[in-house]
Amino acid sequence: MTTEQTIRSLDDPDLFVETPGTIYDAIPPLPPRTEREAEFYAMRDGEMLINLGPQHPSTHGVLRVVLKIDGERVVDLDPVLGYLHRGVEKICENGDWHHAISNCDPLEYIAAMFSEAMPVMVAEKLLDLEVPRRAEYIRVLAWELNRISSHALFVGWLALDLGGLTPVLYGFIERDEIVEMLAALTGQRLLFNYLRIGGVNGDLNHDFLSRLGDWMGNALKRIEDQQKLLNSNEIFVARTRGLGVVDRDMARRTLLSGPVLRATGIPYDVRRAHPYSVYPELEFTIPTREEGDSYARYLLHLDEIKQSIHIIDQVLHRMPDGPVMAKVPRLMRIPPGRAYVSIESPRGQYSAYGMSDGSDQPFRLRIHDPSFFNLQAVGLLMPGNLVADTMAIMASVDPIMGGIDK
Amino acid sequence: MTARQDTTEIRISPTNVAAVMTLLHDDPGFRFLILSDLCGVDTGSAMQVVYHLWSDSTPDWLRVIVDGLPRDDPRAPSVTFLWNGAEWAEREAYDMFGIIFEGNRDLRRIYMPPDYQSFPLRKDFLLADDAARSPGQGVRHMEQTFQPAEYRRTPVLRQGLGSDAGQMAPGIQTAILSSGEDPAR
Repeated sequence: MTTEQTIRSLDDPDLFVETPGTIYDAIPPLPPRTEREAEFYAMRDGEMLINLGPQHPSTHGVLRVVLKIDGERVVDLDPVLGYLHRGVEKICENGDWHHAISNCDPLEYIAAMFSEAMPVMVAEKLLDLEVPRRAEYIRVLAWELNRISSHALFVGWLALDLGGLTPVLYGFIERDEIVEMLAALTGQRLLFNYLRIGGVNGDLNHDFLSRLGDWMGNALKRIEDQQKLLNSNEIFVARTRGLGVVDRDMARRTLLSGPVLRATGIPYDVRRAHPYSVYPELEFTIPTREEGDSYARYLLHLDEIKQSIHIIDQVLHRMPDGPVMAKVPRLMRIPPGRAYVSIESPRGQYSAYGMSDGSDQPFRLRIHDPSFFNLQAVGLLMPGNLVADTMAIMASVDPIMGGIDK
Repeated sequence: MTARQDTTEIRISPTNVAAVMTLLHDDPGFRFLILSDLCGVDTGSAMQVVYHLWSDSTPDWLRVIVDGLPRDDPRAPSVTFLWNGAEWAEREAYDMFGIIFEGNRDLRRIYMPPDYQSFPLRKDFLLADDAARSPGQGVRHMEQTFQPAEYRRTPVLRQGLGSDAGQMAPGIQTAILSSGEDPAR
């Protein structure tokens, strides 16, 4: 039997084997899988698809957005998530409750003190555990400091996405001081792993308090400096005012929360709507704005920074003495039950729904991240705007991909 | 310090979801205008969809548990007609649990790749390095295509969801009763 050697030319269509469809399929995927996808990929005359991300500095993480554009205008968009998905909820189910604290840390990595509070507060609620008052005050102190560091960075990023480099440097000055301060308190700069079921890990120390005192002295003045830098900047105001307007009804229907919701005039803040920790004892107002655009969101963040400084001031004056940890066993079995806790993170309502079956591991720990829903609303805000403005809208709702992709 | 018993809980069946949620949302006596959270739960015997609602008329959360969705074909009506922001939350519950929300216009996988086969947050999906619960089983591929060793003797339900890439409306195909052979060996 002789085999005939054939030399195939590169033009031979049989030379290339067709690979089965994968996630790297060309867009649009055919046939469409859902009604919405069919609608999105039905192209009209003059429309074009462009791919933004997943590695793009303005997407604040690893987010891919398929934009449908007509000239310079965005007609529609299809965000593609999952590039950062780690399955934190599943990992939490497979470790015990203490592991869940450090597993939840990297969700909202800009303000990790909020996401790590979730398993802690769920477990405390299921245990019906009384947290010492000093620990509650320290928690509020850490939360508000973290909120300021996150908001300071928001202002910088918003300006950066509009092309201004200076404000982000100012934002990082503020953030760096707070982060160093929290590092003195917790030992970590970014992912603190500081809260514990029944209290906090470690009391206030001298290094932290002296840094805090130095910073508090001129914090307000520096925030006002930053305000002056951008509020009177004509380009910044012209590019953010009237951009990405959310109205009240839409804000409620798209499950928005946090500054994006309050910029529409709804004074919904979990610290007041459903008080937790020692917030009922503290005086602060909930700043709101009526316009609902990017500029209102920017101004609201500055107002919230001032309120947080006000809260920190009260906390420092009222800090009670006492232990920082309740008496809890190191290995604990959480009684069976279901608990829902919710706190106000810099980006909105951070909540968790925990179920325990009586073992030392969570049966289910659902984390609700506000960035996830705020990013969804971006899909409704972008159409009709210029491509150059899409990033400004996205920056103004301040999504954190660590929490969106979980 | 914080109010511990601050959640009212009701349980409804999947057929009543649309009516109950519309009543809670629209009735001036309830005014549950804010949907705080929507998630899926696998209890091991049945699937649940859990909603948390907030109203300015009461300080309590309202937890609505849609109970008793069968594990082999969990279906619940979508609430996107009241809150269109629930769309992504329902996509997430579909992605993680395989719960089909009827009426959701965009029920695709949201985190996992489109050609992914299983539902990671289900209780019968074990992690590859899940040493605490399945000792000595070695390392498996993350996507579970066969059952763990201790269940191998008995016929078990396996999710036979083909790639939903070619379907207009995604759906769980019939669950396959597997005889328990290990295809990897």
